[in-house]
Amino acid sequence: MTEPVAFLSRAEALIGSPEAAAVARGAKSFLEKRDTARDQFPLFDDMRERARSIRLHSLANLDRLLARFADALEAAGGQVHWAEDEEDANQIVSRILGASGARTVVKSKSMVTEEIELNSHLEGEGLTVVETDLGEFIAQLAGDTPSHIIAPILHMTRQDVGRLFSQKLGVPYTDDPFALNRIAREHLRRIFLEADAGISGVNVAVAESGSIVLVTNEGNGRLATTAPRVHIALMGMERIVPRWEDASVVLEVLARSATGQRLSSYTNVITGPRREGDADGPEELHVVILDNGRSRVLAGETAEILACIRCGACLNVCPVFRTAGGHAYGTVYSGPVGSVVTPGLAGMDPWWELPYASTLCGACQEVCPVRIEIPRMLLELRRQAAADGRLPRWLSKGMARYAAVTNEPARWRRAKRWASRLSAPLSSRGWLTRIPGPGRGWTVSRDLPRPAAESFEKWWRSNRET
Amino acid sequence: MRRDAFLSRVAQATLTAKLPVPPVVPDAPLELPPVDLVALFRAQAQAVNAVVHGPVTRHGAARAVAAIATGHDATRFLAWDDVGASGVVSALTAAGLQRIDHLVPSGSRREHNLSYLDVDVGVTGSVGALAESGSLILSHGEGRPRMASLIPDIHIALLDTSRIARTLAQWARENGDSPEKTANLVLVTGPSRTGDIEQELNLGVHGPRHVHIVMVR
Repeated sequence: MTEPVAFLSRAEALIGSPEAAAVARGAKSFLEKRDTARDQFPLFDDMRERARSIRLHSLANLDRLLARFADALEAAGGQVHWAEDEEDANQIVSRILGASGARTVVKSKSMVTEEIELNSHLEGEGLTVVETDLGEFIAQLAGDTPSHIIAPILHMTRQDVGRLFSQKLGVPYTDDPFALNRIAREHLRRIFLEADAGISGVNVAVAESGSIVLVTNEGNGRLATTAPRVHIALMGMERIVPRWEDASVVLEVLARSATGQRLSSYTNVITGPRREGDADGPEELHVVILDNGRSRVLAGETAEILACIRCGACLNVCPVFRTAGGHAYGTVYSGPVGSVVTPGLAGMDPWWELPYASTLCGACQEVCPVRIEIPRMLLELRRQAAADGRLPRWLSKGMARYAAVTNEPARWRRAKRWASRLSAPLSSRGWLTRIPGPGRGWTVSRDLPRPAAESFEKWWRSNRET
Repeated sequence: MRRDAFLSRVAQATLTAKLPVPPVVPDAPLELPPVDLVALFRAQAQAVNAVVHGPVTRHGAARAVAAIATGHDATRFLAWDDVGASGVVSALTAAGLQRIDHLVPSGSRREHNLSYLDVDVGVTGSVGALAESGSLILSHGEGRPRMASLIPDIHIALLDTSRIARTLAQWARENGDSPEKTANLVLVTGPSRTGDIEQELNLGVHGPRHVHIVMVR
């Protein structure tokens, strides 16, 4: 039986590290900006209700919306590809690039391409793949993985970036963020303009018009989808709404929840390739629609997680994420949403432990722009893990014994007496600071009050008459 | 065939999907208390680091654009054929700037792209704007290159003040077919920005560092 050690050991290594501290600072700052944006927009909560309604309706009618989207996109001159899984998607992209003779590919930030590990697949075929979002570009140079949906290098300092640039790009060392930014701009400029193809994700797709919407702040998402001859967009199949008007509601809450911006710098609505007579734009537009486990998730108890719009607010608010950081989760999708999505897409084995990486405090649902019931689904996944016998023996046996004891008054009374007696030598000044055995985890970072010498029940019997 | 198999699997999944009942929301648009849209747009565009000029008259627009470009010591510009006011291109060339051709030649796309490397200024019109977020709405197409608001360090956009809407949701409701009309519609909200390095705001990472909006009455 697998032990829930992977998350715990990764988290243990990260807690208290400079990386975790940087993630915590960043998450807090995002959240404060989000709260300000909410306070400044009187329609925010109404928009959230609308966004929730739109997303849930879209999931309930997903097959029809996808069919409509594909028809509209094809009518606009785009090409639609259906990818059942990761391997399928990678092969489709390879085929498109191969047919167009592409050698160099520029990429705009996309979680889906990380989910399917597209970069390593394409590099394995000899293509040059360049990430162009500043954070992703830095992560790629460093051979690192992103630690946050919105801010991939939240875990790196400006000195880290300065050293990396001077090593990898051969520029003089600087740790001035503005100078580092200009270095990246200069370096990537020519690459953008000479690239054969651009690859992007999709933030929202519009079924009625066949449009895809890409949201970026840096402009890399626009350059990568304008300069090269071919644009390939990878899209999780759930990323769809019926009409442009519905997309606009999602966009009203997306940037506000993610970064506290009213809108991101660029909201890029693409409907097909360059049209006859257009001044610029790609000659070919391919949209790859990816299932990769999503239909399995949709069919089950955690279907609602597919309503997620990937703003990252639940990460920023989560006490576990803020303490351990994104890398503790060991997966592309971290934080509360990742703890539901990852076991769904990639399977409970080995990801069943992620739903336990939560205090169930409910802050994620509270902050979510589409109010997804994340705690309900975390509990559901825990229930499944227990039912499948995935818990370590000491825990499942322990819980069974606990249930047996608490269900029987006489046993419960005896247990209380023993707890009080046994805890006496372990406690100091009324507090338990270290419990041995399986209870150790509880007291690593917190103290427990020791059980009272006299139980409430006993106290009640002797005091209620007076 | 792939499509059919894919979609029937999705259809099958929706049958057993455990989805909460969606909240019932009114179909009516959400209203905000009325405000002066020009003033709100100006304040919000400035809040996202755009520079707002005017409102000027249609005749004054060309002079305003030329003054902004020369103020940045610009030498080359890329402009839409119709920016919403007359005389803009001739005012720029009269001020000594060289216009870069935007027509995609039949030859090498790469060479043509590279010719944009030296462009300092892009001049565009706009089909509308959003007061609540300080955004410009650009509809690209024939004679309206996407690159003009993307590749240069300076983007100058002309905006007819009568086209300012309140929110994106409101504009989209009134212009439901806007994405179908063009292959590329872009909402520009301030200059290109990043906070990727220690969350410190930096402008002009891949797109323009300066966005000037010339409001035209």
